[in-house]
Amino acid sequence: MKAVWKRDLTAYFNSPVGCVFLFAFATIMNLCFYVFNVLGASSQISNLFSIMLFLLILITPFLTMRLFSEEYKLRTDQLLLTSPTDVWEIVLGKFLAAFCVFALALALTLVWVIVIGLFGVLSPGAVAGNYAAILCAAAAFISVGMLVSSLTENQIIAAVGTLAVFLGLFALSAAAESSLSPVMGTVLSWFSLFARHQRFLLGIFSLSDILYYISFTGVMLFLTSRVLEKKRWA
Amino acid sequence: MIEVRDLTKEYPGKTAVDGVSFTISRGETAGLLGANGAGKSTIMNMIAGYTAMTAGTVRVDGLDILEEPTAVRKKIGYLPELPPLYMDMTVEEYLSFVYDLKKCRTNRAEDIRQACGALSIADVRRRMIRHLSKGYRQRVGFAQALIGNPDVLIFDEPTVGLDPKQIIEIRKVIRSLAKKHTIILSSHILSEVQSVCDRILVMDQGRLVADDSAENLSGRVGGAKKICLRVSGREEEIRRTLLGVNGVAAVKAEGSREPEISDFIVTVENGQSDGAVRMLMTKSLAEQGMYVAEMRSESMNLEDVFLKLTSGKGKKAGGRTEKIAGKAEEGK
Repeated sequence: MKAVWKRDLTAYFNSPVGCVFLFAFATIMNLCFYVFNVLGASSQISNLFSIMLFLLILITPFLTMRLFSEEYKLRTDQLLLTSPTDVWEIVLGKFLAAFCVFALALALTLVWVIVIGLFGVLSPGAVAGNYAAILCAAAAFISVGMLVSSLTENQIIAAVGTLAVFLGLFALSAAAESSLSPVMGTVLSWFSLFARHQRFLLGIFSLSDILYYISFTGVMLFLTSRVLEKKRWA
Repeated sequence: MIEVRDLTKEYPGKTAVDGVSFTISRGETAGLLGANGAGKSTIMNMIAGYTAMTAGTVRVDGLDILEEPTAVRKKIGYLPELPPLYMDMTVEEYLSFVYDLKKCRTNRAEDIRQACGALSIADVRRRMIRHLSKGYRQRVGFAQALIGNPDVLIFDEPTVGLDPKQIIEIRKVIRSLAKKHTIILSSHILSEVQSVCDRILVMDQGRLVADDSAENLSGRVGGAKKICLRVSGREEEIRRTLLGVNGVAAVKAEGSREPEISDFIVTVENGQSDGAVRMLMTKSLAEQGMYVAEMRSESMNLEDVFLKLTSGKGKKAGGRTEKIAGKAEEGK
């Protein structure tokens, strides 16, 4: 697992993907911080994490599109799948590489905490809750992107497909909220990555929602490993 | 070392490999020969564990690939047709990654050094793979297969796309590896298989149609033995003398390329040793005052053998394939 993680993490920064992702993320989010918090003289950072969640919809496909698609295209999946490394190790290694890039991008926003701590009123609980929630949501988003990437050798299709899935999940969130049937609403909300995030933005730290994100990610990683195994048996 | 039994791979609407069985002993070098689409790569992918079989078994050093896939993969170094290279890594980084991926327990630096030495790529260790020529990339592909010093090496079309000089070098590398490893390689180039392999397994439309040494294949499939002869003297007299030799079935005049020397092709009777017939012919011609300028046995060349085996003549009415007696049969 470590070998795959190291290789993929390095690959992000051997190509423009990692740097462009970090640059885009840092630029957009710091601009938002400047507008809402510096110019607006506000210590509230929940709105920034709300923006970040929607930014993730747009930029996660860029981060995950190459994970398996490129391996298929270069036929390097033959090296991975004929090695003694198990499929789950390959999947987990790749997932962690993409997750680490996001975590690195998120680490760049810690400057907000310093600035608010120095010049505003910092609420450590809300800040920690928001960071934990966005990390969990990003893990879920990355796992979806990786699953889509494992289905095609075309990176563009992987990216567009991931974006389509995210928009579908977003639509489910909206449908869950507006559903007339309580049963239907409950079922739809189970698939809603977005609705669960709203509670964290309101300052509610929900362990069940954290567990939901972890479970969702686990299911996506499992499905990805099944896709790889199925290719072997096709 | 490698035991393949009734290996079958079916894709929707197509049987890529149909009931193939063979055994390869430790230290042997076997060549899978066949036209494009004959099923060679599919067999190699199944042995390497990249593709699962529809039916049949693959055992490597006594271990079943479905029951103990990880242990089997540790014993195999695989070079697919397209070397699985990451263009954004240096040769050294790539081999180090392969070392980790294979979970080797040997000395990393020593392992990489040996692989680089065997493939003569030590001078490009720090270069990016995307900057290497095709020949060097192929060598790096070979080197990754050698990492961890696996018992079995599988090379799928190892010289495809290389120039003649590179082909000669790669063949030399394979021959040097053959001393320490069990090797299976595939090719559609007969001379390649003939030059590096102890055994040839001929594939046609997913079936194994022959399994034997190159020499035996020519002998078994070649039919009646023929001898090419160039003799000084008059054509008619020579012909009469040759037809009088015990064991000669037919004599065909081939004209004359040099003054006073006539060329012939002599067909040896079935069951007769061509060596004995050659001696008798030499003696009879000398007694008649005619001298042999050149004499050689003409065995069917491997191209002819291959075409004959894959032209459908080897198939029985029931659709199964007739096997040329060889080690696959002995293993049963």
